[in-house]
Amino acid sequence: MIKAGNRMGLVFFPAFDWAIEPTHPEREERLLYTQDQLREEGIFDVEGIIEFKPDMASEEDIMRTHFCFPDVKSVTTESHLISAGGAIRAARAVLDGEVVRAFALVRPPGHHSMKCVHGNRGFCNINNEAIMIEYIREHYPRKKIAIVDTDCHHGDGTQDIYWHDPDILFISIHQDGRTLYPGSGHVTELGGPNARGKTINIPLPPETSDDGFLYAIDKMVLPILEHFGPEFVVNSAGQDNHYSDPITNMNFSARGYAILNDRIKPDVAVLEGGYSIQGALPYVNLGIVLAMAGMDYSYVMEPDFDADAIRQEKDVTEYIKRLADTVLQNYFNPPPDGQAPDPGEFMMRKKRIYYDTDGIQESQLEAVMVCERCAGVYAVQSVSSVNELSYGIEIPVGACDTCYDEGLKIYNAARSENKFATIQLINRRDRSYVRM
Amino acid sequence: MYLGVDVGGTHTDAVLLDEKGVISSYKAVTDRGNLLSSMSAAIEEVTKNVKRSEIGNINLSTTLSTNAIVENKLEEVGIIVSSGPGIHPKNYSIGSHFNIIPGSIDHRGKIIAGLDEKLLRDAVSGSVQKKLRVFAAVTKFSTRNPGQENEIGDSLSGIADFITLGHRMSPRLSFPRRIATSYYNSAVWRIYRDFADSIEKSLKGLGIGARINILKADGGTMPIALSRTIPVESILSGPAASILGIISLCDISEDSIILDIGGTTTDIAIFASGSPLIERDGIAFAGLPTHVRALKNSSIGIGGDSLITAADGKITVGPERRGPAMAVGGDRPALVDAMNITGSSAYGNVERSRAGIEKIAEAAGLTAEGAAAAAEEYAVGRIREEAGQMLRRINEKPVYTIHEMIEGIEIKPARIFVMGGPAEAFRDRLAAAFGIPVTVPENYGVANAIGAALAKTTFDIELFADTSSGVLIVPNLGIKKQAPGDYTVEKAEEDARNYLAGHVRSLGGEDSGVEVVESTSFRMVQGFSSAGRDIRVKCQIKPGVVMKMHGGVK
Ligand SMILES: [Zn+2]
Ligand SMILES: [Zn+2]
Repeated sequence: MIKAGNRMGLVFFPAFDWAIEPTHPEREERLLYTQDQLREEGIFDVEGIIEFKPDMASEEDIMRTHFCFPDVKSVTTESHLISAGGAIRAARAVLDGEVVRAFALVRPPGHHSMKCVHGNRGFCNINNEAIMIEYIREHYPRKKIAIVDTDCHHGDGTQDIYWHDPDILFISIHQDGRTLYPGSGHVTELGGPNARGKTINIPLPPETSDDGFLYAIDKMVLPILEHFGPEFVVNSAGQDNHYSDPITNMNFSARGYAILNDRIKPDVAVLEGGYSIQGALPYVNLGIVLAMAGMDYSYVMEPDFDADAIRQEKDVTEYIKRLADTVLQNYFNPPPDGQAPDPGEFMMRKKRIYYDTDGIQESQLEAVMVCERCAGVYAVQSVSSVNELSYGIEIPVGACDTCYDEGLKIYNAARSENKFATIQLINRRDRSYVRM
Repeated sequence: MYLGVDVGGTHTDAVLLDEKGVISSYKAVTDRGNLLSSMSAAIEEVTKNVKRSEIGNINLSTTLSTNAIVENKLEEVGIIVSSGPGIHPKNYSIGSHFNIIPGSIDHRGKIIAGLDEKLLRDAVSGSVQKKLRVFAAVTKFSTRNPGQENEIGDSLSGIADFITLGHRMSPRLSFPRRIATSYYNSAVWRIYRDFADSIEKSLKGLGIGARINILKADGGTMPIALSRTIPVESILSGPAASILGIISLCDISEDSIILDIGGTTTDIAIFASGSPLIERDGIAFAGLPTHVRALKNSSIGIGGDSLITAADGKITVGPERRGPAMAVGGDRPALVDAMNITGSSAYGNVERSRAGIEKIAEAAGLTAEGAAAAAEEYAVGRIREEAGQMLRRINEKPVYTIHEMIEGIEIKPARIFVMGGPAEAFRDRLAAAFGIPVTVPENYGVANAIGAALAKTTFDIELFADTSSGVLIVPNLGIKKQAPGDYTVEKAEEDARNYLAGHVRSLGGEDSGVEVVESTSFRMVQGFSSAGRDIRVKCQIKPGVVMKMHGGVK
């Protein structure tokens, strides 16, 4: 019987009875052909590949990570809890030593979900990777974690959640936001004052092919990862960079995805987007599974693969080479944020967020304490077309005493006012997550 | 009258029965060198006082194919495979004549690349040179499109005595399982055919003109004519015979655990709402997973002859067996020796048992009674542990819909049914360990033969229809036709039932109990508009017995 090179966990949850809408890309059919391909290949029989049933994420798992307005139940369905629970199960399998690596092949996706949640944006309600990471930091002795988001769309949700966190390195490789939803992910987006350079964006031009992606991995992602020294690496494994994807414009291949995964060697990969459900997903997912199981993927190829047809233009190659300098500079020598006040002061930021799927408009005023000892206490006022003014306060993981005291002070002050429809407190030091 | 014969590795059991009960039964040690003579003797003996022409149905369970594989008495098979991209097919090489021919079919059954005709011709002429006479043709996704397997088959016509086409073995996906199943099917074909010929001849000689069926590992039977084309389905039918025996002897309607405690092992099976669970995929032999369906069954090394040892003051039992128990002349104490001390059995020479157990007891710093009780306790504990693990695996099996995730039914056994020598003796301990009532059926000594006698014909199919490409296919029945554009899942279910019932009738089996196991209909979308439906219906006749034996429970 065929054997894996290393033990690998597969949390496969295709949610065959869930769709955003009947003909929406995020529909029942999405992983059907992937399942066919994996079954026909005999993946579930490979010695060393173990299939796990997802956990159900609990309300606490979500409240540890997000401010859900007005509450968790209003913005999630069972499908979201299972998908996030699938990511948690994958992490547990690795951290408990059941397997060396794990792939949460689950839907619905999550990487467009931000810290505050009022509904669905970019097909996402809650952020599967972030919920998994916060579960890990709560239950296991892991501090520094890196996320490499290789979905074609900028992982703006994950970026928002970790914008201020110096212990979480977030790297997003995506099609340039000037040409694709959600429009963000510019190379100058580098993280907040307490975490400069811990958010890294690598926007690639349309029609980037295997060469360009792998160049970005080798010359940008890997040196940064090596320097950061994460104790756990997560890959947001969106598959919409594929040349056949109907909603994007890139030229990445299934084998390219397998090589990319093999080079990053994530502890856990979590499926994100990818909507070429017949022509790409069966092959990309197979490639990723084989790479994560330490098996030969060199015979994986799309039926219509034609290397010449998707070879990248010379100017694309040149552009990416030039980009490398900026990206490395951003990490190793990030320019300071000129607007940032002194330590002990709050830095304010106004944001407007549009939830495309649900048509919701949100306005935020966020404040973070500039702090040299921790990620800084965080407070966000949020109002949207579906929720009145609400408030979220977070005392971060490893908060210093000052930030801890300040967080409770803000919370207590807010409670005595009659200004907010909902107030939520994430208190990571006391592991207390409350809503009122 | 129904005749059942179970030629097992150790014993051959036979039973003749009718609606009123068991007419006669027979048990003898199997002559492993000559299964045919064991079987013929059993049939002759058990039918000697009846009118043989009045026997209507004979079901046979035989280890012939299993032994051929275990003892490597396999004929050399010319295997010709073709696969599109994925895991390289060389990883599934089996036997000494494994040919890979370029060609490719995708997961929708679309032909991506035709078979390389020249390389196919070379493989065929190479096989002729090597004087190969049996073949297996297997292509990836042949259950979506059997065209290339049929092409390979055609290229071998006139050369092969027998060809296995992968898609006829099972409707399910898994290229590696399809290869292994097809290989074994061809490799045992000739030895099985000779056996079937002899059985038919010998029954004729005895004046028995009954329908002859062969037992399968899924607890069903197949008519002997069909079994000649799928002989691999006759492997590992032994445990199924015992499980069917329990079904015919007892009224089981709830979630249950079935234990068959034998000489060297205990077989454990789980029933959900009174029906035995079937393995989701198929059984493995020689470490290779196949498409051969089987009842879910787990075996541990705890039996009457299991060795008792003492280490660090702790008594353990099995999984080793070192000859017979001391009570019947062995030289190391076994579980039945302990049972002789606790008084739960009186088997052979009890004094010899005592001598053996005392020695063990001394080593563990216990009294003989204490050590014997500890041995029984340990044995029951191991059975409890293994059954628990099996249940956990079943209850934790992955599911693929939110509905199943939320509404998933957990199996919670409410009763244990126990067969085998130590069954009665272990009744109380088992009841205490599991915390649920225990039933021990009477007649369990030949329950396996009763189960074999009463098994009904089973079969499973999958109908696959794609209304956008207009294809409807039932691979293992060889059906391929046009799917109308307005084809619905309801119509597909009706068609699947009819195909299956018709097929089983044509084999001379009963078409009762056809059930749809799984049925899905996915809207397929091209761009942002609907483009037909992907419809899949799994249909089966599940294992069961043609009638119940009454008064079998105490
Ligand atoms: Zn995407
Ligand atoms: Zn601080």
